[in-house]
Amino acid sequence: MLRKVLIANRGEIALRVINACKELGIRTVAVYSEADRDSLHVRFADEAICIGPPRAADSYLNVPAVISAAEIADVDAIHPGYGLLSENANFAEVCRASNIKFIGPPPEVTRLMGEKDKARQAMKHARVPILPGSDGVVATVEEAQDWAKKVGYPVILKAKAGGGGRGMRIVRAHEELPNLFHAASTEAENAFGNGELYMEKFVENPRHIEFQMLADEHGNVVSLFERECSIQRRHQKLIEEAPSLKVTPRMREEIGRTLCHCLKEIGYQNAGTVEFLMDEDGQLYFIEMNTRIQVEHPITEAITGVDMVKAQLLIASGERLEAILPAKLEIRGHSIECRINAEHPQKFTPSAGKITVFHVPGGNGVRVDTAQYAESMVPPYYDSLIAKLIVHGRDRAEAIAKMERALSQFIVQGIETSIPLHRAIFADPGFRAGIFDTKFMENFLAEKN
Amino acid sequence: MKAQDIADLKQLIEFLKEYKVAEFDLDRGDLKIRLKFNPTEASSAGLADLARLIGSAPPAAAHAAISQPTPAPALQAVDPEAGLHLLKSPIVGTFYGSPSPGAAPFVAPGDHVAKGQVIGVVEAMKLMNEIESDVSGEIVKCLVSNGQPIEFGQPLFTIRQG
Repeated sequence: MLRKVLIANRGEIALRVINACKELGIRTVAVYSEADRDSLHVRFADEAICIGPPRAADSYLNVPAVISAAEIADVDAIHPGYGLLSENANFAEVCRASNIKFIGPPPEVTRLMGEKDKARQAMKHARVPILPGSDGVVATVEEAQDWAKKVGYPVILKAKAGGGGRGMRIVRAHEELPNLFHAASTEAENAFGNGELYMEKFVENPRHIEFQMLADEHGNVVSLFERECSIQRRHQKLIEEAPSLKVTPRMREEIGRTLCHCLKEIGYQNAGTVEFLMDEDGQLYFIEMNTRIQVEHPITEAITGVDMVKAQLLIASGERLEAILPAKLEIRGHSIECRINAEHPQKFTPSAGKITVFHVPGGNGVRVDTAQYAESMVPPYYDSLIAKLIVHGRDRAEAIAKMERALSQFIVQGIETSIPLHRAIFADPGFRAGIFDTKFMENFLAEKN
Repeated sequence: MKAQDIADLKQLIEFLKEYKVAEFDLDRGDLKIRLKFNPTEASSAGLADLARLIGSAPPAAAHAAISQPTPAPALQAVDPEAGLHLLKSPIVGTFYGSPSPGAAPFVAPGDHVAKGQVIGVVEAMKLMNEIESDVSGEIVKCLVSNGQPIEFGQPLFTIRQG
């Protein structure tokens, strides 16, 4: 078992990892920027080390500072959480070179999945369905035009080194392509330091379905079923649920088996999520893989009963999946998560500042993951997620009823939050009926105005 | 109590409330004060400011009880003597006061240093990073020991500028 772990993250996920460590008897080391001095993750860790000024680039993303802290605290391993350094293959390599266990896949696998065009090819090779598109990078506008003719408009140009919805442009007609090609390439260059693009067929109104995978260090891989994350605004997820209403048991079983085989082949280790688009005919297509724990992991925990973060720690300690997971994995009930953000519910402007009142809901099947508390500060330097509200019911109807009740009892004052927006979405007949795709939020917000 | 004492006391109480001090005792010979506030989370800052506020009382005679320790040293830590500059570490790592084991330390209390002069080394990731003084002046005190792990912003030296 790991003896001591440094959590290279902040906010609710840092606290989540600290909690799992404490429950396993692992000592915890928090790192923090000057802006997070009074944070809960700092307070509840066994040790805490200040690693820099508020800006993430100078603190949480500062690899030498994080590694130096790990060295002086003499830790066995680093858990990178999500975002920040979690998918940074260089960081994983530096950990390895410094004799610190990186809780995640080997750097080579992270690198493979980080290069989106290569990830596509690896999946294609393993017979995972992928969207029609270019064989790798599209180097010039001319090449792009050739591929677009083959694939058929509309197409989407995507950054090879990208993610999070940036460095992407949808092209619906031949004449638009040159300008959009340059726009995507420049955005990608600025955001990721790499302007290379690849191309995929663009699916107009897809649903976003993702599969949770776990792999140990002995070649065993398992699927913990899917999540649906179609309620998104500008590629940022707002609501997630498990299981998906649109995934049949047969699809679940087939995709699960194919992905297990694929991840075994590429030598995947630890937790990861494979993302798909589902077109209007219910067909699934691979888009990318995230080689880390995800924000919405609690809904999978709810329906499977498996503690994902503990599983990560146990896998990194060398345990086999058969010792970590129940003999038979089953889906039990239905779970939904709302991402509560510190932003104006209609204008979406970020709302930093001091929280004056913070009352979280409780009750049967209601979970809140948060690092905020009454009188805490929400600093302006980091992302706006301040809490995750997760419910679990025997079916989707009960989960919705619990979420509505819980949202009505979640009181936050001093800053703006997305709670009123979530309440409005849950009152929407389309959402309640499960009739939605990734265009839902755009239409919902247009109707409101 | 003299009118000035009352004015001082009011200022003192406001100061203590602002820094959430739990208890405060002062024995100045001519004046004894004991204050107790409602329990609340305290910060570890402000001891020296308290002493200054009281006037001629030596710092040792003023006690401020801190109700809860915080895990990190206060970045705003103020030195008991006014006007001293705190040199803080710009990186995380292990502090060394001399260029190699057994060698003479870079600086000692009383030494004059120029801005930019190397006054210590912080080892991070097997690299030795030279710490330069960011002001000119006299080294008053070294606040850390050789081989001590230090964090970003941790005070290393007090320097009297000039």
